[in-house]
Amino acid sequence: MKKILSLAVASALTCGVAMAKEIKVGAVMPMSGPLAAYGQVTNLGLELAHKQQPKLKNGDTIKLVLIDNKGDKVETATATTRLISSDKVVAILGALTSTNTAQTIAIADKKKIPVIASVATNDKLTARRTFANRVCFTDSFQGEVVANFAIESGYKTAVVVIDQAQVYSLGLSKAFQKAFKKKGGKIVKKIKVTSGDKDFKAVVSQIKKINPDFMFMPLYHPEASMIARQSKQLGLKKPMFSGDGVANQTFIDLGGDSVNGYMFTDFFDYTNPPSQTSAEFVKFHEKETGKAEMNSFTALGADTYNILIDAMNRCEDPTNSICINDQIKKTNGFDGVSGKISINSEGNATRSAVIKEIRNGKAGFKATVNP
Amino acid sequence: MDILTFMQQMVNGFSLGSMYALIAIGYTMVYGVLRLINFAHGDIMMVGAFLGYTFMAVFDLSFPVTVLLAVTLSAAFGMFMDKIAYKPLREAPKISLLITAIGISFFLENAFTVFAGGVPRAFPVPDYMENIFNVAGVTFSVASILVPIITLILLLGILFVLYKTKYGMAIRALSFDIKTVNLMGIDANTIIALVFGLGSGLAAIGGIFWAVNYPSVEPMMGVLVGLKAFAAAVVGGIGSVTGAVLGGFIIGFTEVVVIAFFPEMGGYKDAFAFIFLILVLLFKPTGIMGEDLEKSRF
Repeated sequence: MKKILSLAVASALTCGVAMAKEIKVGAVMPMSGPLAAYGQVTNLGLELAHKQQPKLKNGDTIKLVLIDNKGDKVETATATTRLISSDKVVAILGALTSTNTAQTIAIADKKKIPVIASVATNDKLTARRTFANRVCFTDSFQGEVVANFAIESGYKTAVVVIDQAQVYSLGLSKAFQKAFKKKGGKIVKKIKVTSGDKDFKAVVSQIKKINPDFMFMPLYHPEASMIARQSKQLGLKKPMFSGDGVANQTFIDLGGDSVNGYMFTDFFDYTNPPSQTSAEFVKFHEKETGKAEMNSFTALGADTYNILIDAMNRCEDPTNSICINDQIKKTNGFDGVSGKISINSEGNATRSAVIKEIRNGKAGFKATVNP
Repeated sequence: MDILTFMQQMVNGFSLGSMYALIAIGYTMVYGVLRLINFAHGDIMMVGAFLGYTFMAVFDLSFPVTVLLAVTLSAAFGMFMDKIAYKPLREAPKISLLITAIGISFFLENAFTVFAGGVPRAFPVPDYMENIFNVAGVTFSVASILVPIITLILLLGILFVLYKTKYGMAIRALSFDIKTVNLMGIDANTIIALVFGLGSGLAAIGGIFWAVNYPSVEPMMGVLVGLKAFAAAVVGGIGSVTGAVLGGFIIGFTEVVVIAFFPEMGGYKDAFAFIFLILVLLFKPTGIMGEDLEKSRF
């Protein structure tokens, strides 16, 4: 009897091991702090995608381990180290902004753990890194899109407001300036600000004096919304344009009616889902959250997860980080929530951009720009 | 630079500086009586702004009622903070008090992050505050002109309390020598609580007007403003109320001037504000209005 019992236990154990394991995937997101508005919507995308597809083809379950980096570089580094050394994750999603993602990549690259960034657009992020990948476009593409738009709209002179504390802002402003000058535009002034500033009346007064045709402000929403508000107060009425850093409902909430007419580049528009997969995800989002509006960062968050799962499915051992990384870089024409995504050997994505304009408190679709 | 832009920048500096001034008064008064730099003061401003947000956005109260309630509650909160955190340490070394203040600051920031979330919330600014005036080409909103006026009225009020009332006399006496004041039959703890109440009330006004001018509230909003107001208090002469207001204006103007004259250096305006602080500490350690640290207060 004893023998049979132990035999049964032993077989149950081996079965258990052979059947399915739990694989941990790390996520580093700013769930609090100044970037929380971005982190929370992106993480929602991860969670929804996980809910749709919690298992690999071979039956292994995926467990998402989320750590809040509070939007801080040091916290990001700590979180990344913790995920790799103590949670033993096979891949890391996020860190969101370029500045923080650079921290994550620097650490993960040494440990040979693949990273998929959702919205980190800085050009240099993936350079000379083997394990860095992203699903968003780069700043040089985004800068070019804005410059083209400005020139086509007949704007010849531009003021650029740069957040000198953010890699994102520095990179995007550089890309815009290069493209704008090349197409015959003139940068009349560069004004530097620092994230965390609230009072921009001096900046706005300065721009009003310069009187440019066009204002490009590659900033995040807390600063951009304050500039828009104070521009309205001081009577500055110029076309304002930002990158994906303001692609957020919080930006509209903070800006109120002063952001009417404000334009920005984005990745995705939920009212114009580019494919069947995309439309289905938008519906799933509505079912789960009760809200029809879906942030583009949610779509990108879902795509980081889905591309990772896709890559893992193609690996014989889905815990082999090197194989996962190789497969991510072989992603070609992936039918993502935010559109078709291909990732090249450098880890950069080729994908389309969307231009949006805020009208009556809603970000409205204006145009799709293909690479 | 033409005269119009110059005037506009002056108005901008005046409105920014007066908000630093409101908060700096609290720093300076607490320092005056306890020799404590209350690093939690900037966070009291944040608490005041959040109370304002709650009353307006959640309970839908009118703006004046909101200010009244938020200021009263913040003042009570300041007194409560003194009672639980600083009063037990009256006899302890000054450094313990300072560490406690930093601890309270972190506690408040994190507690609000837990309860209110980290996403900035839009402050519901009453429409009349956003009305724009245009005087000879210089534009300003009602809020940006109201704040300096309120600051100056409150400064006069505080000076009146300090120099014309019994409580003011007690506060000034306390700043000389706590032990002797106790012997004179004045309850030092009550007076210190009063100072915390006054300072916190002013910080709350500062917080609400900060939120009106820059309509977003979030748990970390008090950190940088608190530091700037502290710099203002030191520049003006810590321990002097008039000095605090003067220091506030100086820091506000410094920031604006940097952007107006060197737009490319605009990102370093905080650095300029703090360089000013260092220069003052180097050449006149007691600040502009401050007298010898061990002699007189206020």
